[in-house]
Amino acid sequence: MRHATFALLLVFFLAACASQGQQGAEIEQRDLFDQQQAQRRAQEEAKAKAEAEKQAQILREQEELKRQLEEQQRRQAQTGRVPGDEQPVIRPITGTTVGEAQLRGDPWTQLKEPGSLLGQRSVYYDFDRYDIKEEYVPLIEAHSKFLVGHPDLKMVVQGNCDERGSREYNLALGQRRADSVKRAMVLLGVGDKQVETVSFGAEKPVAFGQDEESWAKNRRSDIVYLNEPQQ
Amino acid sequence: MQCWAVVAMMVLGHAASHAQINIDLIGGGAQQIPITVLPFGGEDRFTQRVSQVVSADLARSGMFRLGSQGSVRPFPSEASEVDYRYWKNEGTQTLVIGRVIERADGTLEVRFRMMDVARQSQVLGYAFTVSVTQLRVTAHKIADLIYEKLTGDVGVFATKICYVVKSGETFELQVADADGFKPQVVHRYKEPIISPQWSPDGSRIAYVSFEEKKPIVYVLNVFNGTRKVLASFEGSNSAPAWSPDGMRLAVTLTKDGTSQIYLLNADGGSLSRITYSQSIDTEPNFSPDGRYVMFTSDRAGSPQIYRMAVDGSGDPERMTFEGGYNVTPRHSPDGKSFVFIHRSEGRFNVALQDIASRQVQLLTTGSFDQSPTFAPNGKLILYASLLRGRGILAAVSSDGRIKQRITAQAGDIREPAWGPLLNNRRKESEQ
Repeated sequence: MRHATFALLLVFFLAACASQGQQGAEIEQRDLFDQQQAQRRAQEEAKAKAEAEKQAQILREQEELKRQLEEQQRRQAQTGRVPGDEQPVIRPITGTTVGEAQLRGDPWTQLKEPGSLLGQRSVYYDFDRYDIKEEYVPLIEAHSKFLVGHPDLKMVVQGNCDERGSREYNLALGQRRADSVKRAMVLLGVGDKQVETVSFGAEKPVAFGQDEESWAKNRRSDIVYLNEPQQ
Repeated sequence: MQCWAVVAMMVLGHAASHAQINIDLIGGGAQQIPITVLPFGGEDRFTQRVSQVVSADLARSGMFRLGSQGSVRPFPSEASEVDYRYWKNEGTQTLVIGRVIERADGTLEVRFRMMDVARQSQVLGYAFTVSVTQLRVTAHKIADLIYEKLTGDVGVFATKICYVVKSGETFELQVADADGFKPQVVHRYKEPIISPQWSPDGSRIAYVSFEEKKPIVYVLNVFNGTRKVLASFEGSNSAPAWSPDGMRLAVTLTKDGTSQIYLLNADGGSLSRITYSQSIDTEPNFSPDGRYVMFTSDRAGSPQIYRMAVDGSGDPERMTFEGGYNVTPRHSPDGKSFVFIHRSEGRFNVALQDIASRQVQLLTTGSFDQSPTFAPNGKLILYASLLRGRGILAAVSSDGRIKQRITAQAGDIREPAWGPLLNNRRKESEQ
């Protein structure tokens, strides 16, 4: 499972590198004495540099995640439990959070199975943060496993923020929150096309008080399955 | 100038709104200019009394102290009728008089004069030929002329503002006079509307609507009510900002990953990306000379304000350093400073920063202020705030002394944007 994920990522990196190589070739052909073109070239270079940095960053994050996974597995093997006070990481699915039986049969029934983690559809965040807290990792694993088992199913992750600060910055932050959930799921083997993300920023609060209790409820990503029948 | 019949004739898709707006002045300027505005002759035949609108405009600005109307009846309405000795004894320095005359063809002539009592001479005098429906905007125009003569700054009483009203589950984009009167609904939907921005010529409003279940940028023509999609790319489309020449807009898109800033033409074509970070870059705002874009970015770990050249040359320059949350930059009309929202001790307030000296002044004291927008003369900043859990608009002078509160009678009011000076007004101010 994990090997498959990394293999996929490797393919992605190679593809990304290849497209950058093409960009480089284009740049070489341009007239260096044309000021406008030189400016454009500088922009292209900046863009290519940013892309390269982005790839490098993703690579670094992958390495870090891999390292964390290994570290955690090592510790788990030693202590038999998951340390709770550490940076949240995504563990490989162990098979204990969702029963194997759930991967067969009617998915809509499975989603509503009493006591299942699949009934939990929201991930909550701290103010101005989009990292997934440790306590929501099992929830994301459960939904990931479910989606892997039902590759025809699709979901939308909706990012939300509390009302404070800037509506536009919150819109961007909500997008990052939703994207972080998707990214975790894709790392766990969910198909990229199975998960869409959208941000509602601070525009769709579920709690309306001006207090931390309300704000905490509004800083969330909601998991919404497409075509799931309403009760 | 003698014939001033051209006013923004708004052809709007919806009926006028029921939501009237109230403005309360809190505090005033350090030195208020004394002025006496007398009722205009013949104005009481119309529901819109010109002198009352002029008085309200001047008072609300916080820059003027309105004097007693005295005991002379009938009120003088022509220069020859003014008893200067009487007004001098009353302590009046500046007297505003006027008349509304009905013509045979049904149009109205509104005349006004501003008299210097000590010098016994006219300082200002204009006649306007208008229709009954234009009485209110004519009064704003008169207030602008008085304001300009006595303060030396451009008046903004005749400008427009727009904002979003949320009532129940309905969101309305409304356009109103700068004093909050004559609100008109220009767009209504059951999904959120945010970030309205006026085009520099005041004919269009770019805004973000969630009506397609995700943020998309639209441009609405406020004169004929037509609307078109400006940016509807994969992912999120938001934060429209007009270039000063109105030819281009900056927008925030997530089509290539995180929120990044792009430029496109006002017709939606020629898309080009201008920020390249792995962070959030959003809330672009052009400098008045069109050379720079200020924006919010969390590239250094917390949201801060940066400035970059529009042509993409050089690295973005960080502008804010105090505190861990500085967002929503908006250039002042003279380009020398910018307002933004600054978080300190859990409060979100409007702050003003001088670009050259980097000096920061906190202008407001609320808890949840957002979305600041400069009046086109740079003297006032309109912003959204919360009062007892309800969204209101408030205004503060750029020196922090004068404060106004604007409340809708029903619903939450938020996301204000102050419209530009109309073209003819700008020309006059240059004369």
